[in-house]
Amino acid sequence: MLELFLLTALPLLNIGLVYFLKNRKIQYSLTLFAATVHLLCSFLIFSGFLNPSENDFIRFDSLTKLFLMVLSNVYFWVTLVSYSYLSRPNIVKEEKSKKLYFMLLNLYLLANTLALISNHLGLFWVASETTTLCVAPLIFYYRDEEALEAMWKYLFLVSVGIAFAFVGFLFLTLSANGTVLDGKQLVVTNFILNAEVLNPIWLKAAFIFVFVGLSTKIGIAPMHPGDIDATSNSPSPVAALMSGSLRGTALIGVLRVYQIMVPTETAEFARIIMIIGGMFSLFVAFVFMFKVTNYKRMISYSSVEHLGLIVIGIGTGGIAFVGAMLHVVYNSITKVVLFLNAGNIHRAYKSRETASVWNVLNAMPWTGWLFLTGFFAIIAMPPFGIFFSELMIFQGLMAKPWLLAGVLFLLFFIFVGMSKTVFQMLYKAPPDIANLPEISEKFDITHFASLILLLMLIGLGLFLPSELYEMVTNIALDFGIIL
Amino acid sequence: MENVLSILFCLTLLYLVVTSRIKTYVTILRIQGVLLSLIMIFPFLHHLSVHLLIIPIVSLIVKAIIIPRFVNKIVIDLDVKRIVEPSIQPFNFLLLSVFSMSVLFVSAHVLSGFTTIEPIPFASAFSAMIIGIFIIIFRKKLIIHVVGFLILENGILLFGTSLSAEMPTIVELGALLDIFVVVFLMGIVINRISSTFAQPDVTALGRLKD
Repeated sequence: MLELFLLTALPLLNIGLVYFLKNRKIQYSLTLFAATVHLLCSFLIFSGFLNPSENDFIRFDSLTKLFLMVLSNVYFWVTLVSYSYLSRPNIVKEEKSKKLYFMLLNLYLLANTLALISNHLGLFWVASETTTLCVAPLIFYYRDEEALEAMWKYLFLVSVGIAFAFVGFLFLTLSANGTVLDGKQLVVTNFILNAEVLNPIWLKAAFIFVFVGLSTKIGIAPMHPGDIDATSNSPSPVAALMSGSLRGTALIGVLRVYQIMVPTETAEFARIIMIIGGMFSLFVAFVFMFKVTNYKRMISYSSVEHLGLIVIGIGTGGIAFVGAMLHVVYNSITKVVLFLNAGNIHRAYKSRETASVWNVLNAMPWTGWLFLTGFFAIIAMPPFGIFFSELMIFQGLMAKPWLLAGVLFLLFFIFVGMSKTVFQMLYKAPPDIANLPEISEKFDITHFASLILLLMLIGLGLFLPSELYEMVTNIALDFGIIL
Repeated sequence: MENVLSILFCLTLLYLVVTSRIKTYVTILRIQGVLLSLIMIFPFLHHLSVHLLIIPIVSLIVKAIIIPRFVNKIVIDLDVKRIVEPSIQPFNFLLLSVFSMSVLFVSAHVLSGFTTIEPIPFASAFSAMIIGIFIIIFRKKLIIHVVGFLILENGILLFGTSLSAEMPTIVELGALLDIFVVVFLMGIVINRISSTFAQPDVTALGRLKD
């Protein structure tokens, strides 16, 4: 019970405290304290020192432990840099949004934790609805026309998606009609135990609705536009939070329904749907990587690409599934680095357009080099972790050569398109006009966080810790994959 | 009796497709709210318990009274033009809707042969979902999009009710979708205060693209 208290009660308490204490420093300290406790607690659960009790509503299996660790890690670093981010001079009229910022962060942590540890699909649904509602004002941070449009589109698309996911869960109830589960609660573990007796037609319908609905949050094409607008127009800590952890929270919902289907003959159907969704996402990222003129949108499309790759890995099964789970971890770390440094560039050049950014490497050496390294990490250069996880996914894809060829073809051109934008930003000579704004920078906390995260990425990739690998193979075992 | 009410529900959907006045949309929202509450009262008649009364009463108050009032007030306050500005010919829209509804009814009939569903409420519910989505796609005004979302949500509630005689908890959770609706409506109101969109029209949502 203590673990549950530490994971959820502290953020809950903080929501109230932060609302009444107006001093930003106190708000920051409280939030950072909760983030640290959450990180420690997740780590202890992850490494097996704490064994929380489970019931019909709460569950701590390997999948939850891994995703909880990802959430805590991303949230901790984002909270750490938030104070310095809020202390920056305003670009537009964001002063009002700063008052609510830490309260919403705490609510975000609470809702995401509940969604990850839930064993009851109803609880999961309510929690993921809450994550949408609390992230919407954070997207509206800059309070200009673009932020409003991004928030409206995100909220509308995701609520239609959430409604679809709800229909999916209703189908799951329908599939249990006339079996031992008739009229029972939607408890995932009970459904997995009795998966054989569920009606296959409704099970397939449930998967389609849940997958399409939650795709709006995961960012799987063709439901990705709301996500792209939201991550590219929100402040960079929020974008890092969304790309790094919110997509994972939605992914776990799809994985739960897939886990129910694994022992039945409908599993093959789910795999095909996931591979189609993943390939389509890669294709969309491939097309837009060449069209995109805004560097934050470029990073968002890269998220669509990587989540697509993860879904393909899950759909392929075998070693690719293990690769996909590791990819979730590595991708979340890299996205935080990229978004934080993109935020630094945005602050200095006051524009998100690639055309109005030049010579970052000389003007802002810390940000420039870290952004470049983050870029190398995201395109799967060795020795960064993503290289190894992608290799595992490709190894699994060997069984389907045409699919492997398609994936590698698209990935290569995504790499070309992305590097075109990134190198232009980093190396382009300054324009030949008078009164160029003076751009300089000092080493600050975002650079520190990026540095640590990149080192973590190399360390995890090169010396894959046995705890992490064991955790991932345990997840694979839960999904019926024996390596 | 449930079947009769479901058919009435479907008729309101068809009326929604052909009409072009916002006022009628709001009236139909009211009628649908009443119909839904009537359908949801049936489980109570089978088992007399207070618990089963909560959802019908709450949805009657929220769906038939509060939300339509709110929409009406926004239309008057914001001085929204009273027609819906379709982006499709009304006749084509009607054809499309009737076609999709007939496909749904036929497939529900086929499915009911080997599964345990009640075809008429099932098909009516999915018709409402699909027409809600059509309204979101084929109408330009933001406020009408919210109405489309409400129709979608009504369909989901009807589907949940048709699942089984006893209301599973998950259906009660579906009422939480109303929170989104309220957030949307608040968004439109606040939006006017900060006067960011001049006209609450979806054509204004064109800044973000590649």
